[in-house]
Amino acid sequence: MNDTTYTIPVGPVHPALKEPIELVLNVEGEKIVGVDVICSQVHRGIEWLGMNRNNTVQNIYLSERVCGICNVCHPYCMVMAVEDALGMEVPERANYIRTIVAELERIHSHLLWAGVAAHEIGFDTVFHYSWALREEIMDTIEYVTGNRVTKAIMMVGGVRRDIDKDRRERIEKAMEYYLQHFHKIEDIFLHDKTIKMRTRNTGILTKEDALKLCAVGPLARASGVKKDVRQDMPYGAYAELDMRAITPDMYTGEIVGDVYDRIIVRLLEVKQSVELIKGALENMPSGPILSEKNYVKLLSILKRAEGEGIGRVEAPRGEDIHYVRLEKGKESFLSWKIRAPTYNNVLPWIPMLLGGEIADVPIVAASTDPCMSCLNRVTVVDEDKNKKYEITKDYMHEQSLKKTRRLMRNE
Amino acid sequence: MAMLTEVWKLVFKRPFTNRFPAKYAPKNVHHFLRRVQEGKEKIVPPVPTPPNFRGKIEYDMDKCVGCGLCIKVCPTKAIEFRQCEKAEILHCKEGVKLATPLKIRIYVSRCCFCAQCTEICPKKCLSMSSEFLLANEDKMAKELIVDGLH
Amino acid sequence: MNEIFEIFSAVVGTFVLGAFSILFGLSVKGIDRKISARMQWRIGSPLRQPFRDVRKLLLKESVLPKNAVSWIYNSSPVISLASLLTILLFIPIGSIPALLGGSGDIIVVLYLLIIPSIAIIIGGYSSGSPFSSVGAQREMVLLISYELPLAMVIFTLAWRLNILYPSYSALSFETFQKFPIWNSVSFLGFIGAGIFLIVILLVTTAELAKVPFDIPEAETEIAEGVYVEYSGRNYAMFYLADAVKIVVLSAIIIAIFFPYNLSPLLSQYYPVAPWLGYTIDILFFMFKTIIIAIIAMTFLRTSLARLKIDQIVKVYWFHLFTASLIAMILIALDTMGVF
Ligand code: SF4
Ligand code: SF4
Repeated sequence: MNDTTYTIPVGPVHPALKEPIELVLNVEGEKIVGVDVICSQVHRGIEWLGMNRNNTVQNIYLSERVCGICNVCHPYCMVMAVEDALGMEVPERANYIRTIVAELERIHSHLLWAGVAAHEIGFDTVFHYSWALREEIMDTIEYVTGNRVTKAIMMVGGVRRDIDKDRRERIEKAMEYYLQHFHKIEDIFLHDKTIKMRTRNTGILTKEDALKLCAVGPLARASGVKKDVRQDMPYGAYAELDMRAITPDMYTGEIVGDVYDRIIVRLLEVKQSVELIKGALENMPSGPILSEKNYVKLLSILKRAEGEGIGRVEAPRGEDIHYVRLEKGKESFLSWKIRAPTYNNVLPWIPMLLGGEIADVPIVAASTDPCMSCLNRVTVVDEDKNKKYEITKDYMHEQSLKKTRRLMRNE
Repeated sequence: MAMLTEVWKLVFKRPFTNRFPAKYAPKNVHHFLRRVQEGKEKIVPPVPTPPNFRGKIEYDMDKCVGCGLCIKVCPTKAIEFRQCEKAEILHCKEGVKLATPLKIRIYVSRCCFCAQCTEICPKKCLSMSSEFLLANEDKMAKELIVDGLH
Repeated sequence: MNEIFEIFSAVVGTFVLGAFSILFGLSVKGIDRKISARMQWRIGSPLRQPFRDVRKLLLKESVLPKNAVSWIYNSSPVISLASLLTILLFIPIGSIPALLGGSGDIIVVLYLLIIPSIAIIIGGYSSGSPFSSVGAQREMVLLISYELPLAMVIFTLAWRLNILYPSYSALSFETFQKFPIWNSVSFLGFIGAGIFLIVILLVTTAELAKVPFDIPEAETEIAEGVYVEYSGRNYAMFYLADAVKIVVLSAIIIAIFFPYNLSPLLSQYYPVAPWLGYTIDILFFMFKTIIIAIIAMTFLRTSLARLKIDQIVKVYWFHLFTASLIAMILIALDTMGVF
């Protein structure tokens, strides 16, 4: 750091960030020469609530509120983990309905992201435009699940609402609407010169970095890493629907790994979701939607259950993992761990921002579609020492060993 | 450069925004609502809710048996037990006796509209209405406490 | 006696002009917001919203940041507004000649136009926030970028008119007023002047610091940049300066490119009373201002994304400079009578 460098704090509260996180930028003129990300500004103790206050059924709705936008994938992931622990089979029709609802959510999330990204580069018209187009999917979601945002459709062992004829027609109408409007969205985002000027070659994440930093979701796919839980470890109905991870070279023939590529990936995923939903609606088998219809019985099964399970779901932002451990006689989880996609996608900010300009910060940060509330797990503050990283790797390792030993002695 | 031409088309289109409750936000909502009631101003209706919408909860006290299952599953702890004021003749193991039965009270301001309670209730005495205009400064307002009495 | 009357009328005229430009500028801002909202497929705020904004800002406290240099910080909004109001004294409005017009007034206007930007820059630096420092740097770069094309436009056209009419003072709005540029050139010059018009419209967008050239403010990047610390009355002053700037820049474009008035045309058919003529011309002037504001401000800011600083410099120093150069050559060829 010399005297021409100075520090700009972006966050915890800043118009570019929709949620609190802090970026400390060292800049020289407009050029960024140093980046530091400080997380843990919104810790809400969700896992603690799930382990201490709520029973499993209540936890479904709690996990729905981990993130307002991914409010299907978190409960989906959680019920998958619980089903894994219970060894419970999910009816085929329920799997299809879950898939459809998850894809509806992906469309809405990607369109929402498109609007936010446009706003970050000062293109408010596109922001309003894509949110106006998003309204159709929100109405569909409201029609199918009963509310615009929180869908409350997941249940251990199935789903709570069926997709009957009316709802099916409503979804088909919405899919038609998006197929019609897709070329317009494509035209606006991929062929606009100013958008291209702002996003091409900004915030490049190379394939090596993406692999090294464990990036997930559209961010990783835009860098050429063909990974997608729906393809690699199909859950729900994805195995039957033949789903393939999308990379930008499908559209342009090359992989740059910049913001523009991320836009391509997300827009193509919207189209892919539309096709997946159409396929799922066609192939949907009939049958029950819940493996245990009686909730009282379900509650007692859950109370008596013992074991651990893992759920993996491809959220709109990337891979989401829930780990759940149940103990006999305990209504809430013995242990619950959420690994939301943003947790992996924040570290790539540093290589993406280094060497860039201040003007790139909002769009590069937004291009990972960050969701801070999902991200934060633990807050370590040591104000007296004014230390940033209180927990070092060695310390963490030592503590883990101690805890394991303690657990082993107990058993 | 799609937007260069698109904006001129949009200028002449009707704005997408739904004008609920009026084109411009009224200065004073209470005042506005009063004028609407007096018939001096018209309210633009909201987008209609679909069937099976999850809105404000409704409670049929007479059917409720006070089993407490709804309390058990409510994720937001919005429901609590309430002793009925009026004593009733109850049939139980010990025979017939006069007692105040257990009922529930729901604080809508805490409710997250998950409809879990309505599904688990064995007597189907809870249901979701399509009412959604529930904003209020007072969390304990009379409209926001459902106990089947009003 | 006559002198006193002249001074008196100048003072009254200044006040009237100031009040007019502020009120009219705020109305144009309202129209701009409404139309840009419609362009974005939404309803938008009512037309009187800018007036409400100013009223509210005037009621609010002006906060002085801890690191700020108070006298610079507080005076720069005033300087900015005052210099813009001064410019108006040199520009003819409708068929009313400029209050302080005369030979070489274009040079004065060009210099005065820089002052608001300088005021913003020093105001930004003096507020002692890293965001406003970055904003001030960007404003400076922006200023340097658009000055060159702007100067080329104005001086080329002035030179052209001077060659045609050497007996009139060259750098004066009066000359432009008397001999509209479109009438003084043939085909090649016409194209050249058309290019110049586009160039000056783009320069206007940057002068007003609107998207795509709004980097000094850039809400999502540096949180309104230079204005980040300003609040209350100080910010209201900047807000008014922005409104007046729209009128001023449109008035300059009108004076150079569209100095036409309706009243001479009308008086060919009907006898028009002088006061009626003035009113019609002022209304026509307002109409032209709104059209220019819609094209240079509303339309561009709704249909483009914000550019980065190096891209903006490239646009002005490369694209617009080349365009101006071509237009200059066209006008020169036209003057020499090649075709
Ligand atoms: S709908 Fe409301 S009251 Fe019923 S369980 Fe859900 S949160 Fe509780
Ligand atoms: S409302 Fe239904 S679930 Fe709740 S206590 Fe009454 S009967 Fe039981």
